[in-house]
Amino acid sequence: MLLDFALPTHDRKLIPEGRLSGQMPWVIAIMLFLTLLVAAAGLTLADAARKGGDDLAQQVTVQIIEADPARRATQRAAVAKAMRGLPGVVSVKPVTDSEVRNLLEPWLGTGVIDADIPVPALVDVRFGNLPTDAMLKQLQDQLRPIAPNTRLDSHSSWMAPFFQLMSALVLLAGAVFLLLLVATSAVVVLAVRSTLNTHRGTIEIMHMMGGTDLQAARLFQRRVALDALLGGVVGFGAAAAVILAIGGRFAAAEPGLLAAASFPWYGWAILAFIPLAVMGLAMLMARWTVISALKKML
Amino acid sequence: MRFVPSRLPMQSVVEFDNVGLRYGTGAETLTDLSFTLFPGSFYFLTGASGAGKTSLLKLLYLAHRPSRGAIKMFGYDAITLPRDRLPGFRRRIGVVFQDFRLVQHLSTFDNIALPLRIAGIQEKDLQGPVTEMLAWIGLTERADARPATLSGGEQQRVAIARAVIGRPEMLVADEPTGNVDPDMALRLLQLFAALNKLGTTVVVATHDIHLLQEVDGAQMMRLDKGRLSDPTGSLKHPPRPLVLKN
Repeated sequence: MLLDFALPTHDRKLIPEGRLSGQMPWVIAIMLFLTLLVAAAGLTLADAARKGGDDLAQQVTVQIIEADPARRATQRAAVAKAMRGLPGVVSVKPVTDSEVRNLLEPWLGTGVIDADIPVPALVDVRFGNLPTDAMLKQLQDQLRPIAPNTRLDSHSSWMAPFFQLMSALVLLAGAVFLLLLVATSAVVVLAVRSTLNTHRGTIEIMHMMGGTDLQAARLFQRRVALDALLGGVVGFGAAAAVILAIGGRFAAAEPGLLAAASFPWYGWAILAFIPLAVMGLAMLMARWTVISALKKML
Repeated sequence: MRFVPSRLPMQSVVEFDNVGLRYGTGAETLTDLSFTLFPGSFYFLTGASGAGKTSLLKLLYLAHRPSRGAIKMFGYDAITLPRDRLPGFRRRIGVVFQDFRLVQHLSTFDNIALPLRIAGIQEKDLQGPVTEMLAWIGLTERADARPATLSGGEQQRVAIARAVIGRPEMLVADEPTGNVDPDMALRLLQLFAALNKLGTTVVVATHDIHLLQEVDGAQMMRLDKGRLSDPTGSLKHPPRPLVLKN
């Protein structure tokens, strides 16, 4: 393929020096820009789902339901102490009353929590690995003597629908990515057919003089490769600018799921590979189109 | 100056056996053609407009396959020859098209060099022959000119130069002197004759019966409504030995 690209200068002249068509590199640039954005979105979502999923799935919140504030505080401290000694537990963080109040105030209003509504005490626990349901049940049994009304909330269970949505979006991004590649290929095929019609006379002359199908195909491959390369550089540049700009917004967002949704470092390598792959695909499509058309001639 | 064909070993270049050609579902354009072309022979193909001259030439330069019959070229069955082997055979045939078919965006030099480049001749090896050919057809000064800026006669000379530059084993020319003055026509005929002396089989389709007198010993193939007649009877006989007549 690379050898096909490096045609001698005199052979390049067999088809006029202008690009396949004036708009061709720009159409490829737009298609690649969209393809790269979709790829970036897919990679970001996949990375966020993986990181966020791992992160959240390893977290458990222990709720201690006790109406008496003093006893509740005692039980919270005892539960935290007991949890710290358990195997597999990475960190234990008792949530203070003020933090719980801050969490609930947007819904319940200020000053009403302690007086009117007994809220549970919370202890955030992080495991080194994903805790199984059996582990959680065993844990709950161990905590019962310390705090009789204890409930364990595994974050993975309540976040499951969200991550299912993320997975669906990643699949959707993959599908759109493939569709854009198909559309780009179709654009290349149409452009090559159009150019083939324009230069049919030249190709026929070459054919009658003993030119092979491959010789003709190489001419078109080179043109398409140059157009795809130009379109790829422009498309990649534009997509990179957008990704960097939006990435900055994500970084400025509040910590949490959005912060997890950053563009992964390896994504740049993948994005840089896509224009090259599209160039290769375009060359293959050009070769196939020209050879298919020429096969109809004797 | 008059020319006669050269003497060469008698192995046929082309053999037609009961060949017919029809386009689509129409009537046959060529019917029951049976003849043999020998190496180093010079043939004129004549006939009225629509007699089938161009169709016969297309069969000779492998642009078409016949509807029926058998064709042998350079010792091979041209009907069953695989498509991927045809380019090799086409490189052995030089063609002068009636409408020249020059590549419009290429210079005179590049048009003439085209068959050599297609054949993979190195750039350094084709400069000499192309320059020499340009001088022979009197277009050295127009080496960089595009076909659109050339006169009809000049274009025709370029088309002929392109057809003969690769020293083909067979030269097929469709009205090659139709657009040039008598002096240039004679000069081009000299070129064909010189090639013929080197062993190239030449087939020239023409309306110009005066040309027939310029190449002594040339054989005439006459097409009439798609059927071949052989007024000199020479198609049945081998060409005569080379004699250059002044």
